[in-house]
Amino acid sequence: MATDFWASSHHKRWVVDRASVKRARAEDLLYVDDPEYLDFLAIFFANCISRLGKKLQLRQRVIATATVFFRRFYLKNSYCETDPFLVIAACCYVAAKAEESPLPIKNVVSDARFVFSQEMYGIKTFPSDTSKLAEMEFYLVDDLECDLTIFHPYRTLMTLCYKEGSNVGAGGGADGNIEAGELGAGIDDGQRYWGTGEGRLELHEGALQMAWFIINDTYRSDLCLLYPPHLIAIAAIYLALVLHTPTRTLIQSQTAPGSSSASATGSACSGPTTANPTPAPVRRSSRQASNASSSSSKKNQQHHQPQDFVGFMASLNVSMPLIATIAQEIISLYTLWDRYKEDSPTSTSSLDSSAKGSFTSNQGRHNSPFTTGTKRSATGTNTSRSGSVTTNVSASAGTGSHAGTPMDIVREDGVEITPVFLVKVLLKMREGKWTDLAARSGLGEGGDGGGNGPRAVNKILGRTQAAG
Amino acid sequence: MLDEWSSSLLQTDPMRAYRMKRDAAHRTVQSKYTILGFISSGTYGRVYKAQSRDDVDTGGDGKAGKIHAIKKFKPDKEGDVVAYTGISQSAIREIALNREISHENVVALKEVILEDKSIYMVFDYAEHDFLQVIHHYSQTLRAQIPPAVLKSLTYQLLNGLLYLHTTHILHRDLKPANILITSSGTVKIGDLGLARLTHSPLQPLFAGDKVVVTIWYRAPELLMGAKHYNKAIDCWAVGCVLAELASLRPIFKGEEAKLDSKKNVPFQRDQLIKIFEVLGTPDEREWPGIKDMPEYNNMKRLDHFQNHLQEWCNSRIRSSSGFDFLRQLFAYDPENRLPCREALQHKWFQDEPKPTANAFQTLAAHQIPPHRRITQDDAPSMMPMPQVQPHPQGSGKPGSSASFASMTQLSGGGGGGYQTSGGRKKARMG
Repeated sequence: MATDFWASSHHKRWVVDRASVKRARAEDLLYVDDPEYLDFLAIFFANCISRLGKKLQLRQRVIATATVFFRRFYLKNSYCETDPFLVIAACCYVAAKAEESPLPIKNVVSDARFVFSQEMYGIKTFPSDTSKLAEMEFYLVDDLECDLTIFHPYRTLMTLCYKEGSNVGAGGGADGNIEAGELGAGIDDGQRYWGTGEGRLELHEGALQMAWFIINDTYRSDLCLLYPPHLIAIAAIYLALVLHTPTRTLIQSQTAPGSSSASATGSACSGPTTANPTPAPVRRSSRQASNASSSSSKKNQQHHQPQDFVGFMASLNVSMPLIATIAQEIISLYTLWDRYKEDSPTSTSSLDSSAKGSFTSNQGRHNSPFTTGTKRSATGTNTSRSGSVTTNVSASAGTGSHAGTPMDIVREDGVEITPVFLVKVLLKMREGKWTDLAARSGLGEGGDGGGNGPRAVNKILGRTQAAG
Repeated sequence: MLDEWSSSLLQTDPMRAYRMKRDAAHRTVQSKYTILGFISSGTYGRVYKAQSRDDVDTGGDGKAGKIHAIKKFKPDKEGDVVAYTGISQSAIREIALNREISHENVVALKEVILEDKSIYMVFDYAEHDFLQVIHHYSQTLRAQIPPAVLKSLTYQLLNGLLYLHTTHILHRDLKPANILITSSGTVKIGDLGLARLTHSPLQPLFAGDKVVVTIWYRAPELLMGAKHYNKAIDCWAVGCVLAELASLRPIFKGEEAKLDSKKNVPFQRDQLIKIFEVLGTPDEREWPGIKDMPEYNNMKRLDHFQNHLQEWCNSRIRSSSGFDFLRQLFAYDPENRLPCREALQHKWFQDEPKPTANAFQTLAAHQIPPHRRITQDDAPSMMPMPQVQPHPQGSGKPGSSASFASMTQLSGGGGGGYQTSGGRKKARMG
């Protein structure tokens, strides 16, 4: 099981299409003022899980598992008829057990009460009674259909790549020296579960770290429901190759002499290059080289035979258009996330282990083929994603030449998307749902219990229907 | 907008609508299954025999629903009141692993029902188990298990274990009571309550469970205090199970030294002596890592023994390839112990008689152990059920599959806790 993703419950039951994800939000759409808020809520909830997870000192993989549980739960349920904060606490509690690092239930309750009562959330009603959380755990495990084994992209990342200068195969777990963000922590060896299983990419430490952080970030969207983890990992590697400046420079110099097929850097060929017209034989497997240079640094990397990055990506035997799609969705997540304002109450922010910063800083860089190219696609994906792109995104993305323009945090309607605001949105949705429930049972025709949906009376409904 | 009552309810119990929706959609254990009787109990809870009420499950004859074993986890109690206290780690483990696996030689989980603060795992039913076979031969037939049956059972056990190991699962509690056999002679490994994934663990294996594997089946590296161990511990247990099938009694029947008051794991002196008496005292030549074991100095103080496995096998296995097979499963050095894949290729399985897909194929009817006895639950609060029906398979042989429930407890190691004083003996029959 652990090696055979294809036989797993994850593969068989929990990779869903976008229509299912959209359908899952249908009821919430009835009660939300602006459908886009739901996308912000997806980021907000992931940050909540991350904050609670950090407080509970959960490892990154456990937090990731909790987040997947949360997304799966809301494939079947609505925000407006549940208490997402209780669900989050239950997800962390179950994930800790599922990943073999259990926590006492009372610790989860007290930490959840502490975290969620902070100013940014202002939730004072989190139940202090552990049996409430235990009861939620029952419903959660049931809604998860008892499928508690989750595959994550981290493992693929570490089987595909290794840190420059490290021993091939060490995978990071062996040396016990774990970095911030837990790069490589606890990763055992293990075969890739698709393709030939051969070849690994030696990455600059910064690039590997960035790919890891990008994976962290993907949990703020529905990507973990939509795509198998190995594809998400490859998309993260792809983005890291482009976003990590030294690595990008290296690739650009390699591919400059007119190899237009190199999609990632294809438009970069105008740049000056010192690369050989007949490139030195590139190595597909970096095994020999890494052994030769145990103390490699950024500088002497230049003296190596260059790795064939593009060839490596091509050799992975996965659909590159699909990887590009995932990469675009990741970028559209950053675009959205950039408009969401969450101040960390402490210095240990949940965003420490994010690649968001590198993405944003890269946007300003001129001469980066990535910036203009991807921003355009970002809007494209965003549109297809939920049909909820506000016009100012399209506008700013459309002016790709002014890549340095920062995204506006304040929307055109003057609303600032913050945790406090989103909590209000959530409470309002819940209240709307309850009003309808109460009205229906009050009218005495509550027996039918569904079908026609609630009669929402606010302005949203019209807008939603018009949009859909 | 909301009236005051609803509004306060929304504040205090925002999940109410969700629960009502879920509870309305829930199908209860009672509505899906008829409980036929009580099978056994352990530290984890209790096992019942049940029949499906679902039409889809009636297998075409339109009458009898499929038979299942329902494992009900012991609910946590605060005083006398059953309360939600969180699902135990072992239940989470067993559920999570079972949802991922599927193999001919591993018991299949049909579904899990979470109801009324209890967890019910519904498994395919298996009529027999290794312990019951051993008892049938030692008590009723007073004869050895025929070589063809011995080989078939071992082969299928290894086949199921190979599957678990290739999916990076350590069983960690293989013993005769946990290895089931269907009425058509197919071996099914059961009880993954102690099993664990070894792939990319976030915690070392040692951290979670200080003691694994019932003492008689526990590998020497565990007895020597190893913190790191691997699949080889299951292969050792297979050797012990094979030896027990061959001799109809546990080969290393040591006394377990109990945890002290500080929960320190004591030196398992008696169990090691029982092993050394048959296999001889290990030395650094055959197990180089032994001198680094935490209990090495304790072990050095024990008497010295010679290897007598050959003699042990002469009267019990009576096959040179069988002796070699057991010798390799009992390699002291975990690195040298026979792994499942190689074990399945061993010459013993090539020699006549060869293993059969139906382990009972070569047996006459009376040689097959009687059907599992079920009794009325003596803890009626656990699961409501009808009066026990007259037993259709009148096995009737005194002491035949007797006291299977109590035997399960006997070899249940690590246990305690659950069995209340007295009462449980009722599960025994005669």
